[in-house]
Amino acid sequence: MNAHEEDRIKQLFKQAMPPAGDTEPERDLWPAMLRRLDARPAPVPWFDWALAGGLALFAVVFPASIPVFLYYL
Amino acid sequence: MNTHPYLRAFLAGILVPTLVLPLMLTGFIVLRLWLQISAPIERALVFPMALVPGLWGLWNMFWIGSHVRTHLSVGPHGAILPLLMLPLGTLAATHLGVLELGSAHAIWFGSLYIPYGLIALGWAAAMAAYYLVWKYVVGFLNRTLGIA
Repeated sequence: MNAHEEDRIKQLFKQAMPPAGDTEPERDLWPAMLRRLDARPAPVPWFDWALAGGLALFAVVFPASIPVFLYYL
Repeated sequence: MNTHPYLRAFLAGILVPTLVLPLMLTGFIVLRLWLQISAPIERALVFPMALVPGLWGLWNMFWIGSHVRTHLSVGPHGAILPLLMLPLGTLAATHLGVLELGSAHAIWFGSLYIPYGLIALGWAAAMAAYYLVWKYVVGFLNRTLGIA
């Protein structure tokens, strides 16, 4: 491969893979990341609290159900 | 962390019932060896020890494979599992002599008389318990293992 062919291959490579250009993000992403890190987890909905309370009440009112529950768990 | 999602789903699924097993074994030792209770406890342990953990793992694998199409979150998906487990467990319990089905009562462990109305209520309670455990525990494990 002579020098002319090498230059030609370099030129073809440059044409096939143009420079990436500006790779910086359009805006600063770090504040959004900080907001996400500081965000509190979603609160437990009232429906789930009601279900948990109902289950506790069920276990208190019908304690005989506890071994049956354990059997199915 | 993007490899073997079904293996990780299985492991996340079996964790909760696997953690409960030592408690059940402790209860068995206390009831049988210490309190000398003659109920058929060892036969009752077959279903929760041999089948339940595998069912939880398979059910979590099924969720991983299906929730992209069904868009069902993990809590309601887990709440469906008792619909499968209760008939299976009841079948196993009757064949193992743990459960007798009477005309008005089901007799568990030869001593617990539970009316069928209460069993229906307990079924709903089981679905609620499974909903909460799958939403908060299995969901947390799935997120921790990078599969949800």
